[in-house]
This record gives sequence, C-alpha cells and structure tokens, in this order.
Amino acid sequence: MTSVFHRMAAAADAPVFALAGAGMRWAVQDLLLADGITLVDSPRAASILLVAGELGPRLGEAAARVHDALPHPRATVLWASAPDGLAGAGAERIGPDADPVAATRAVFRDLVLGGRPSEPALLPDVDPATWRGVGPYGQGGSGMTGGTPYGRPMAELGPDRDGLRLDVLPTRLGPFFAPLPAGLELDLRVSGDVVVEARVTGSEVGTSEAAGGSAFVRALTQPQSIADLEMARARAHLRWAAEALRLQGLRAISLRALELARTIAPGDSAAVGRFATAVQRTGVYRWSLPNVDDRRRSLLADARLGPVSRACGGVDDERLADPAYIALGFAPITDVGDGVAAVWRARFGEASQSVDLASRAGSAVTTVTGTTESPRGRIALGDAPTARALEFVPALVEGLEWGDALATIAALDLDLDEMAALAGVTAA
Amino acid sequence: MSPLLEVIAAAAAVAGLLAVGALALAIGDGVAGAVVAGRPIRVLPLLTAPVARAMLAARTGSTTTERPDGAGRAVAPALLAGLAALAMVLLPLGPGVALADPDTGFVVYSAAVAFVMIAVFLHGWSPNSTLPLHGAYRFGAVALSFQIPFLLAMLATALPAQSLSIVRIVEAQAGLWNVVREPLGLPIYLVVGLAVGFWGPLNLPDGDDLAGGTSAEDAGWARWLWQVARLSMLVAVAALGAAAFLGGYFGPILPGPLWVALKTGLLLAVMAGAQHLLARVRIERFVGVAWVLLVPLALLNVFVSGAFLL
Repeated sequence: MTSVFHRMAAAADAPVFALAGAGMRWAVQDLLLADGITLVDSPRAASILLVAGELGPRLGEAAARVHDALPHPRATVLWASAPDGLAGAGAERIGPDADPVAATRAVFRDLVLGGRPSEPALLPDVDPATWRGVGPYGQGGSGMTGGTPYGRPMAELGPDRDGLRLDVLPTRLGPFFAPLPAGLELDLRVSGDVVVEARVTGSEVGTSEAAGGSAFVRALTQPQSIADLEMARARAHLRWAAEALRLQGLRAISLRALELARTIAPGDSAAVGRFATAVQRTGVYRWSLPNVDDRRRSLLADARLGPVSRACGGVDDERLADPAYIALGFAPITDVGDGVAAVWRARFGEASQSVDLASRAGSAVTTVTGTTESPRGRIALGDAPTARALEFVPALVEGLEWGDALATIAALDLDLDEMAALAGVTAA
Repeated sequence: MSPLLEVIAAAAAVAGLLAVGALALAIGDGVAGAVVAGRPIRVLPLLTAPVARAMLAARTGSTTTERPDGAGRAVAPALLAGLAALAMVLLPLGPGVALADPDTGFVVYSAAVAFVMIAVFLHGWSPNSTLPLHGAYRFGAVALSFQIPFLLAMLATALPAQSLSIVRIVEAQAGLWNVVREPLGLPIYLVVGLAVGFWGPLNLPDGDDLAGGTSAEDAGWARWLWQVARLSMLVAVAALGAAAFLGGYFGPILPGPLWVALKTGLLLAVMAGAQHLLARVRIERFVGVAWVLLVPLALLNVFVSGAFLL
C-alpha cells in the first residue's frame, strides 16, 4: 500500500530549488518551461536542490545552508558544478551537456520511491553564535527589543515615516533569495513594510571565465553582426520581462515571455507588440508598479543605464555613436511615461525595435569598439551598468514599501554575470 | 439519528464539499494558467497533479525553524480550514436546507471572515522568521480595508430578506437575484473575496516578492495543509457569494444543489482567471481604493437596496 502512495508521489512534478551559478542564469530560467519539474521560490518547498554552474567561493557555505533547509527526503543535482560547500552531499553530478530535467526527474523518482537515501545535513545544527543575550526570550537590549543575542541584530525601536517609534527589523536577503539574482545580498532595515535602510553586501556570482561573455561583451573588442546583437537584446528584454512578471504574481504570462524569447525571429515585432498588450491588460502599469520621484529620476537619467535612464528622461545610447546604426535610421526610444512602468514600456519598445532593426540590418556589423550599449546600458572595459546600478540601490529603495523596493530593483535588470565578465575583460 | 452521528455526518458533508471545491479550484487554476501561458492543456496531468502533490506532501518530512511558536504553526492552517468549514455550514443547498440556519448566519459568516486575519497573522508570526513575519504584517495592514466593504456588501443582501439568516437571504431572491437588484454588490464582494483568500491580485501576505511570505518556511504536509485551507476559504467565499448574490439554489430545470454547484463554480472560475490575468496590487493602492472607492460604493449599494424596500 505504501508503495502505491509513493508511486503516486513520484508522479508529481519534482519541486526544485535552483541556484543559478555563473553564466547559468538563463539556462535555469529555461527550466520554468520544462515539463515534470517545478521551480519553487523557497527551499522549504523543494525536494531537489539543483546547483547550476560554478558558485563563487563566498557562496559555497550559503549553498550548504540552503541545502540544509530542504525537507527530507532531499537530494542535490550538481549541473556542471562542484561548489565547495556541497562537496559532502553525495550529490548527483551531471555535465554541462546533460539534460538537467531528465536527470532531476530520475533522482526525484529514486528519492521518493526510497531507492536513494535522503542527504544528511552539511552544517551542524547549532546556534550561529554563542549566547550573549540578557533576557529569557532572546532579547539582548533594553526592554523586549534590540541587542545581538545570537550574533545577529534583533528588531529595535526606531522612528518611522509617520513620526512614530516602531520596531525596525534587520532583514538579510540573499545570496539565494528567489526574487533577486543569485549572488546578490542585501541588508535591509524594515519598519513595518517600509525599507528604511538598505546596503548591498554582496554581488558575487563566480569567476569571469565562468560568467562567459555575451555578444555585447564581445562587441567591445571586435565588430559584431548588428542583427545578432539586436536579437540578443530583444531576447534579453523578454527574459527580463519573464522575471519581472513573476515578481508581480503573473506566472502564466511570464511563461509566455520566456517562450517568446526562445522563438522570436527577426522582423516579428508584431509578436512583441501583442505580448506587450497582454502585459498592459493585467493592470500592472496601473496598480502594481511604483512611481519614481524626481530625486530618483535625476539620479538615473544620466547614469547610462539603458532603458532605465531613458525612461527617466535620459537620452544617452551608445548606438548613436555608431554610423552603422545611424545608417539603419536608429533613434533611441524615449518619452515612455513615468515611474517604473516607463522602464517596462521602454524595454518592450526596445525589444520590438530591436527585432525590427535585426530584420533590416542585413550583414551590417558594428563599427565602434571600446564601448557598447548592452540591454542594461553602456558597457566598457571594466565598466558594467550593473556595478553602477548597485551603487544607486540604497538611494532608490530607501523609503519604499517592500514590494515597491523589489519592483524597483527588478526594473534595473541587474546582471551579475555581465558584471563579472566585464571585470575579467579589464584583467585580460 | 443520535446527535453525535449527526455532527459527524455534518462534518463529513462540509469536509466533502470543501474538498471537492478545493480540488475543482486547483484544477481550474491549472487550466487557466495553461491557457494564459499559451501552453498545451494536458488533461490527465492536470487532473492528477493535485493528488500527486498531496502524496508528495505526505511523503515529505516537516522542517523546523529557530525557536518557532510550535503551537501557533500547528493551529494556523487548522484555524483557516475551520473558518472555511464554519462558513460552509451556513450554505443553503435547497429551500430551508442548510446544515445550520442560525438567525444570525450573516454575523457568523462575517466573524469567520474577520478571523481569517488571526489565522494568517499566526501563520506568519509563528515560524519566527523574517519573510513570513512581513507577510503577516501585510495582511494586518490590509485586513480592515477589505473587511468593511465586505460587511457592507453582505449587509445589502440582508435588507431585501429583512433577516440575517443566509437561508432567508436566498429565499428573498425567488423573484429577483441580488446581482440584478444591487449590481454593485457582487463586484465588491468578489474583490474582497480575493483578499480574504489572499489570492491572485490580492495575494499580499504570501506574495512572490516575499518568496511565499507566510508560507516561506512551510515544508511538506504543513505547506500542503495551508494551501488546501486557503483553497477551502476561497470555495466558501464563492459558495456563499453564489447564495447571497446569484440566487443560490434557484434556477430552472436542474435541481437546486446542482445550481449551487454551478454558480459556485462560476465564481471559482472568475477567481482562477483573476489569478493569471491580473497583476498583484500594491498595498498602498489597494488600501486607498478600498477606502475611497469600495466603502462609498458599498454604502451607496446599501442605500439603494434600502430605497427598494420603501
């Protein structure tokens, strides 16, 4: 009888928590379209931990912590990956060319049917620091709040935006917080639902070799086909849309974005237009996305962050410096409205424009090297838009509600792979 | 039948109704998701997925957090499911046929909806973890904003019946359904219903921006129970919405209980569609709309319903 139940359980989609290492972000994103597995947002909801690609040395221990958060029975699949922290896990290892879905399904089936033992914890289950508190409930400061009784700060009283004194809760996000890119770590202080202080404490994903180079990075050193570059740009915007839509709770339409990113062909700007209309009909512009006030707009307008800057009133676009683009009649998309919604409109507009440019570019190649316009803005040797954007993150999110803060960060399209790859170009 | 047997039979009936409804909503949600995503609808997997997930949940062990409130974690899903059952008990399936028909049925239902906040807050508070706690705070922040329009929308249905009994509220719709008599009521009720079940555009406490919010620390059986309790609450909201606004068991040809099922299914289909077609609303925006738009409209609805009686 038990075995009948177990066989039914093994027929379920395998719940997978994925850690996207260097250069594997999009490969992991593609798994959302796979049948037979479900990517989940919390390790507690998963049976399988999938580690894709190399993780930077700082991320090994964090990966082990995630591993230990999975409920039993659990198993790890290392896809082209061998992180230090998971060395003792007895994980299933597959190569870069293996089919991760089939491998994951097989491991999951074995696990649920009892043929594969559940993996033991990698880290000892002890308090993260020795007890230094004073009160019986873990509080270390005065009254019931404050202090650092376990080496971690507790909530304490602080002023809020309405002039009251309320609990301020220190919250550490990342490096594997599903709504943020893997590797990004934020330290927030949150009062109610409002972020009162933010710091970026980590942005490591892996080495620059593992992060690989996109067509945009290659365009820094040698001419690239404009058609290829523009299709890559359109796909990047659609993949960004898949992530941003998921954050707004629109998982089904997010899958449409992903499917479109895989199938879009040069000249098919109508398909992008239809998709943008479907997004608009969800009301996301009207009631989901926050405003961007004038102070933030002026910060971003001249930061050369591509669609983000152009949605905030900026006009810079590196493509304007390239005669090959001018010959195609290229003009950047500006004047797309206000707020984070404007960034969305700018990206959809650009995706549509890029598909159109790609169909008209023929065999034209870029004629300028040294700087390029990536989907995230101006890139140059050792200069990544993501690195510049990360410096703005505290100023952008402080004072915003939690959901607004994450929607604002998502709009920046932070790409730690591109940042790592560009850091490598300098060194070379 | 002895009183004990009656209670057991009633409990089984309510559990059965909720289970069937929750299964239907889970399957409908899967179908709606596939349609909106433009993916093929694979019938057999869609039908068996909820059962397979339940079996996997049973196979999966539980996890704990650092210094959780163990009792609170255990009670929260049970409380939410219990509130759904409490509402379901009041559902009229035919003329004068309901498991319970207190004169104050409306008050009992309203109390159940108000207590959802306790269940959600407890669920977010008890793991002693930041993301669930944020989810709990959020629900607390929006709860009053939807409870008042909810009360007013339901109150307007009690006026033509001149009774707070749900059975009487349905009987009063023999000639004219409330959805026609007071057209503002059902839309307001549905918006609020999504908030009560923290579903789709109003999934604030368990939102994707909190990686699951109050459920972020739930594993295995506990996670499954919470999801089922939430689906059950939505089923109860849909069933009582069908009773209060769509004439409950009234309808031609088909037997009354079938009409109840069909009308409940219609409202569940609307909910399943909303989940995939509408973006999550910002909290500030929702609270603003609730107080500035929904409360006045719901009041207007009450006045208009009252004017009909003069």
